[in-house]
Amino acid sequence: MSEAKSMKPLFYIILLNAVGAALISISGGSRSAEALVLTGAICVVSIICYTVVRFAGFGDPYLFLIISMLGSVGGIMQLRIRTAYGVRQLKWFLLGTACYFLAMLVFLAMRRLLPKLAPLYVGLSVALYAATLIFGRTSHGSRNWIILGGENGLSIQPSELIRIFFVLTLAAIFTSPPAKKGKKKKTDAEKAPRPRLGPNAVRLLSASAVTAVNLGFLLLQREWGIALLFFATYFFFIYVYGASRGYLLLNAAAAVGVGALGLKYMGHIQTRVEAWLDPFADASGKGYQITQSLFAIGEGGFGGRGIGEGSVYFIPEVHSDFIFSAICEEMGILGGFAIVMLYFVLTYRGLKIALACTNRFNKAVAFGLSLMLGLQSFIIIGGVTKMIPLTGITLPFISYGGSSMLTTFAAYGILQAISAIKEETTDEL
Amino acid sequence: MNSNKKIIASLVFMCALFFSIFIYLTYFQLFKADDLVSSNYNRRLWEKEESVLRGSILDRSGLVLAESEVGDGGQKRVYPYGSLYAHVIGYNTRSYGKTNLELSFNDYLLKTESLTEIIQYGIDMDEENGGLKRGCDLVTTIDHDLMRVAASAMNGRNGAVVAIVPSTGEVVCLYSNPSFDPNEDELVESWADLSEDESSPFLPRATKGLYAPGSTFKIAVAAAALENGLGDFSVDDEGSVKIDGRAFRNAGGSEYGEIGLREGFKYSSNVFFSQLGVELGADTLKKAAEDFMVTKKIPFDIETSSPAWSYGADMSKTELAAVGIGQGKLLTTPLNMAVVAAAVANNGIMMKPYLVQSVVSPNGVSVYDAEPEAFGRVAPAVVTDALSDYMLACVESGTGANARIRGVDVAGKTGTAQNEREGRDHAWFVGFAPKEDPQIAVAVFQEYSGSSGGAACAPIARKIMQQWLEG
Repeated sequence: MSEAKSMKPLFYIILLNAVGAALISISGGSRSAEALVLTGAICVVSIICYTVVRFAGFGDPYLFLIISMLGSVGGIMQLRIRTAYGVRQLKWFLLGTACYFLAMLVFLAMRRLLPKLAPLYVGLSVALYAATLIFGRTSHGSRNWIILGGENGLSIQPSELIRIFFVLTLAAIFTSPPAKKGKKKKTDAEKAPRPRLGPNAVRLLSASAVTAVNLGFLLLQREWGIALLFFATYFFFIYVYGASRGYLLLNAAAAVGVGALGLKYMGHIQTRVEAWLDPFADASGKGYQITQSLFAIGEGGFGGRGIGEGSVYFIPEVHSDFIFSAICEEMGILGGFAIVMLYFVLTYRGLKIALACTNRFNKAVAFGLSLMLGLQSFIIIGGVTKMIPLTGITLPFISYGGSSMLTTFAAYGILQAISAIKEETTDEL
Repeated sequence: MNSNKKIIASLVFMCALFFSIFIYLTYFQLFKADDLVSSNYNRRLWEKEESVLRGSILDRSGLVLAESEVGDGGQKRVYPYGSLYAHVIGYNTRSYGKTNLELSFNDYLLKTESLTEIIQYGIDMDEENGGLKRGCDLVTTIDHDLMRVAASAMNGRNGAVVAIVPSTGEVVCLYSNPSFDPNEDELVESWADLSEDESSPFLPRATKGLYAPGSTFKIAVAAAALENGLGDFSVDDEGSVKIDGRAFRNAGGSEYGEIGLREGFKYSSNVFFSQLGVELGADTLKKAAEDFMVTKKIPFDIETSSPAWSYGADMSKTELAAVGIGQGKLLTTPLNMAVVAAAVANNGIMMKPYLVQSVVSPNGVSVYDAEPEAFGRVAPAVVTDALSDYMLACVESGTGANARIRGVDVAGKTGTAQNEREGRDHAWFVGFAPKEDPQIAVAVFQEYSGSSGGAACAPIARKIMQQWLEG
């Protein structure tokens, strides 16, 4: 590939940002300065990072490009919704980029050590859950925020960070060398006798136990969205790592059982399901969010009403969970399709990294992270379009919010690192 | 490696998940979105409405028939003539939505200046409009004086009066009774009563009422006879005739002796036309009804009903005879019959009727202009010339004598249609004037009149035509 050709994807990012900035300036009047700074900064960061990744040989050059595109759409939409959101979103994007490369470097430096730290991941997760339960704030029915530094301090959502620990835990468990029953003694993987069923059954049960602990805490915090995400990720893990059909069915049945119990005893879940089945039964109450979201999508049609031309302020939580509805209102479902395609390509790149990876732990991490983030996009997009019941989680790189942005950047930073390692090994070969 | 296979399977699954979003959203947008966004809960609908001062609706001379005023609680739609235009303009309310012109021209009524206009005239924020931009005004083809004459001539009886300019298709009068007051406050107050009222005041009889056309349909039957070589068909009229055991009688049992098409038409002989119907046969009758659009839905500026022709390919002799005199399973609207009269008046060229002449922006720039448009030729000119002669004879010395105007040749056809209520026939009159240079075509209809078309409707048609011709 010639150098000119390899720079071509950047052109699309610059084009999107230029058009977005122009449209916001036209429709928003006084916001042109912020729009120019924001979109300009995203363009500059994209160009620098792409060049660094590409020419420093950090592996897959497309991951950051796709993220930049999503971040650009997010920045433009946040700025369009409220100037202050856009400005803060830009700060998160820049910090997130730092997290991305930090996570990449940390993973590269510690990659021999990381597979052995499963107890640490679980410990950190439990500590974060406990902190949330003790110090947490309740927001929209979920107790999932910790505010640091008083009323106007930094609010963080620990479950966003736990997502990464969760995948690392499962990856470590499933790629752990077989341990002898009752003993903590480490054995050399190649020399150890391999009992046919023993080690894998232990792995499956440990994974199930870890997942159960996570889900328990998440349900205590009423984080049904993330709980669903964790369960789905766990389910894919046990599918790929050798669970029998019976065990898969058992897990699915358990999930359905927990869901049914939630439906019966938790008002929070009942509301969500009722609003999903018939949002117009209580369109000014329970169904308010979802009907306003559907009106936005319907009014947008295929081509959208134009950036800045929609009435997105009618949608509750439009800057966070419902940002996809705002995108559909202003860019049409064709614009929405483009966003979905970007998430799909991102998932595809991630799974491709997993497939090409020769290190078992890294492969499992790449698989888990890319699948989890793909599922997260689907769960929230499906939720706000009433395709599936709504469970509140963020749309990666687009929804407003620091915790989500930084941790998602870190997750893809890890993927970037894994793709770089793969190139190292092929170089060595 | 086995796990790679399963990773690929996971990728395929993710692909299916994302793809299902495409299918779902496309389905949603194609089949669900339109209904959904018209929901009253959609605040966008009213946001747009409140941001624009809804345009006015005017009659052909510029008289205001509907306008919006800005008050404390937002805009209010005012209909100065109350129930007179409820079946033409309709209503525009938050509680019950919109109907008629308020519905079909909603986008224009809310349309603000285009970019070129803003460049040309600048942005005009009229302070007296509460700082709102104005939507466009509709200039209708309706003549308010004709509507008033129609209302006073109908004198509260249920039915419809439609008047059309034959050469263009402009609808200058579209009166339906009973009606209701479309002003929102009155409508809200009387909605329950109106909904339950057995006389169906919400039914716009002129455009959506379906009735047997009775003898006015003989215009189409006569045209079919002339076109199919039955111009010299004659019968011996003894006041009644039995076809397959069923008796077809003339009104009042009159006997006309040996008559041809001209006399049969002039006296509206059921004995003649029932036998002519049998002679013409199913295909020809059906084609005649379609050619004259008696059984076709008329595309119009407001909603119209689809007329009915509820026969299969085979029709019995009695069915043919019934259709020959405009009875049977044949139902149409007063608008359809007015269009028939207008087509005969216009030498066989049927013009598409229209109600909105133009849409004008607040700066006076026309954003929509109706162009007269022909549906096509319904019959050769030689046939419509003959029909005009018959219709003239019908008014000069036949059943339509009550439509005569001194010094003007009026052409017309009466109709008295039997229906499900014994002794309460529908009354019809369709016609045009002056015969040689037609300026107006009318259809007058009275529901369950119990009287004949010549007695009940011809005098009303006369007043309408006279008003139009003499101004």
